[in-house]
Amino acid sequence: MISIWPIRNVVGFLLMLVGVMMLCCIPFSIYFEEQDTMPLLTAAGVTLFFGFFIRQFKPKTDQLAVRKREGYLIVACGWLAMVLFSALPYLFSGLFDNPVDAFFESISGMTTTGASIIEDIEAMPKGILFWRSLTQWIGGMGIIVLTVALFPLLGIGGIELFVAEAPGPTSDKIHPRIQQTAKSLWLIYVSLTGVLMFILWGAGMTFYDAINHALTTMATGGFSTHNASLAAYNIPQIQYPIIFFMFLAGVNYTVIYWSLQGKLKRVWASDEFKVYVTFILILGLAISGSILYHTSLSLEESIRTGFFQVISLVTTTGYVSADYTAWGPGTTMIFFGLLFVGASAGSTSGGIKLVRHWVFLKNTLLEFRRLIHPRAVLPIKMNGQVVNNKILSHIQVFLLLYLALFILGTFVVSIMGLDFETATSSVATALGNVGPGLGKVGPTDNFAWLPNNVKITLSFLMLLGRLELFTILILFTPYFWKSN
Amino acid sequence: MNIVIAGAGDVGYHLAELLAQESQNIVLIDRDQDVLDVISSRLDVLTICGDCASLEVLQAAEVQKANLFLGVTTSEKTNLISAILAKKMGATKTVARVQNQEYIAKGARVDFSDLGIDSVICPNKLAALEIQKLIHETYFTDVFDFEGGKMSVVGLTLEACSPLKDKSLRELRVSSVLNRMVRPIAILRNNETILPEGSTKLQENDHVFFMTNNRKKLPLKEYIGKENGKIQRIMIVGGGNLTFLTAKLLEKDFSVTIVEKNKDRCNFLAENLNNALIINGDPSNMDLLEEEGLDNMDAFLALTPNSETNIITSLSAKNHGVFKTIAQVENSDYVHISQNIGVDTLINKKLIAANNIFRFIRKGKVEEIVSLKGVDAELIEFEVHRDNQITNNPISELPLPKSVVVGGVVRNQKGFIPDGDFQLAIGDKVIVFAMPETIPVVEQLFR
Repeated sequence: MISIWPIRNVVGFLLMLVGVMMLCCIPFSIYFEEQDTMPLLTAAGVTLFFGFFIRQFKPKTDQLAVRKREGYLIVACGWLAMVLFSALPYLFSGLFDNPVDAFFESISGMTTTGASIIEDIEAMPKGILFWRSLTQWIGGMGIIVLTVALFPLLGIGGIELFVAEAPGPTSDKIHPRIQQTAKSLWLIYVSLTGVLMFILWGAGMTFYDAINHALTTMATGGFSTHNASLAAYNIPQIQYPIIFFMFLAGVNYTVIYWSLQGKLKRVWASDEFKVYVTFILILGLAISGSILYHTSLSLEESIRTGFFQVISLVTTTGYVSADYTAWGPGTTMIFFGLLFVGASAGSTSGGIKLVRHWVFLKNTLLEFRRLIHPRAVLPIKMNGQVVNNKILSHIQVFLLLYLALFILGTFVVSIMGLDFETATSSVATALGNVGPGLGKVGPTDNFAWLPNNVKITLSFLMLLGRLELFTILILFTPYFWKSN
Repeated sequence: MNIVIAGAGDVGYHLAELLAQESQNIVLIDRDQDVLDVISSRLDVLTICGDCASLEVLQAAEVQKANLFLGVTTSEKTNLISAILAKKMGATKTVARVQNQEYIAKGARVDFSDLGIDSVICPNKLAALEIQKLIHETYFTDVFDFEGGKMSVVGLTLEACSPLKDKSLRELRVSSVLNRMVRPIAILRNNETILPEGSTKLQENDHVFFMTNNRKKLPLKEYIGKENGKIQRIMIVGGGNLTFLTAKLLEKDFSVTIVEKNKDRCNFLAENLNNALIINGDPSNMDLLEEEGLDNMDAFLALTPNSETNIITSLSAKNHGVFKTIAQVENSDYVHISQNIGVDTLINKKLIAANNIFRFIRKGKVEEIVSLKGVDAELIEFEVHRDNQITNNPISELPLPKSVVVGGVVRNQKGFIPDGDFQLAIGDKVIVFAMPETIPVVEQLFR
């Protein structure tokens, strides 16, 4: 029997958090004398009240425990509630005629996808625009991690939620207690965001732009305050810090934690980190070379743009500093492939994640070795430790499921009228939480023109991708609802 | 000398046997009364039945009077605890045997002498190091280093193609095949030890031990008659601890294949070794070994717990053309037969451990002790630590029995093969080759 109270309790708490976050946008709207103070205030009020309301009437029975099922339901309901309520500021401001648009923008923000339906971003009121960036920042580290960090009552069930929200193949705890782990993660996240903000501010951005870009960079989100995204700032001292921090945001936070502790040996012992660095270096250099060859950009600009775009897509940030579809068909294909990569597990990035690719690749190679030595014991190792069969099968199921969802999603949106290139890339970008795609949803286009049903499909895929498939899909299995 | 040995297993029994022959006072502690009964009927030792880590038992063994306490039970925890207790109760020197090589790794985090354990030995690790040496220098059947390789004793088996065959040592010295870098100190022929003289002729199948100060630069081709084989592929059968430690040492430089029967053990090995290929299967199944490329192997190490399996599989490996075979045997009686039956080297962990422990028993400033397999003599390394008649006379005039050979001297980090005119000085490390009955005389001299 699933107990409802813990779900109400946690969802209520995190709605109240969202409400408080909305209030944080109001200073900007007052400072810039925009018209969105009232809508933001109303949205915050509604959210706070609702959050407060559903936490009332605590039942007297002792069905308070958070077990596996409650854990998954809390995460699913929590995300759904959050996404719905963060659409309120957009709705109340009257800027979106279509409620589906508001919902799409909100889910694209929370899942750190960064696909936008706003055609003229610069014309938006500053308060609403800040809220848009803030949703990405909240969604980046994960609302559950935040809740666990702040909400001691969750004590026992914390780990269940933690796993349900970020069910990567490995769950390293950097502290014996889950709450302390969550706190450390958020501390790193907040500090890095702060540092980046000051760097950007110092490099010549306005304070407002600096804080917005810092928020969406660390979240690997990709919302910008400019129509041209980061191409609006074609200055090295701004783009290099962003390249570096996008890269950092794609590193496993445990690895960042070890490096801050000065334990560099442990950092280098992480196979995924090594793969991540090597992958980005090779691809970045290749793309830079291709840019140098195909365009008239200088060497420095080619390298900067090449690495910017590669890191932006690998980390699933989705910032655009140049139109990558203009660099020849081969490069376009590579960028399409990058929609499926994702950065490290345990980072704020989305997608399949390198660790899964790496384990899969290793296993494939070992399979050939097994054919030659049928009796050999050939385990797959990550970070010097054997990947056990449970994790291995989880990873393989994940990859196949991801592929199946991609094909199914493409099929569905094709039926809804999208051309092949747009259909495949929009589904891939939504599932991987990247942002820009190809074709009619390319780096210089946006998602506003899509029909409602496509927008809803893509929204669903974004949420699936952000919670790494299983957490949402498990709710659609009979096992979840059976009494045993 | 009062010696308490905790644990009457292989190593404990072997040590007790060797020490009892030298009329030391030995107390042997073990939990198994039956084992002790057998031992006390054979050896002149006092046996006590009980837990080695019990205070009462240690008291009964008169640990407080012991000059040396050896913890050599099969349980390393017992060994460590009993050695600590023995030290606190008054034993002069304590030695504990461990399995976990972490304890003896370089830069181990705990200093065991602080705890009261003077020396921690790991027979598996010692055996693994010896195998590593033999694999790196394939033509030697034995390699023992003194002072970190400044001086070594190496063993060779003379094959039919060897140019040394049928020549007397004097002839060889005249034709300068044997130069100042090398001196033969013992020959093992048909289980008999021969102390070489100028007129001694070398024969086919002789097992010759050389003392050398530069084993890396020996003109091996002139001794053996063919090129030194280069080893690339190694097969190890048996997946025990010795295999694990050996493979850890070898897997970086060679391609290593390990065959082990037990599935869980295979998983352990696969988990903890990085490059070795682990095959789950029966090591005595020749079909399997052939399928895994036995014919292409350069070295074959049989390290299962079963001596007979090891010898038989090594012999079949030899038949498949494997160049170097090494077999582990538990039974030290098998050790001398190795050259006669065709296995290149037999490794015996007990002998290795005993060699290592023996240096605590010898009097004088003993640095190292080695007993050569099958040769009834020991190599003892002494330090000259004060002026007396040793330093006043050249070596030829020292009052040493005829069979005693001063084989090598390490002075200022340089090794010398001394001739009769050589004069020792304080601080010299002297390697002496001596028969057991002459050891007390030598000990007296270097005291």
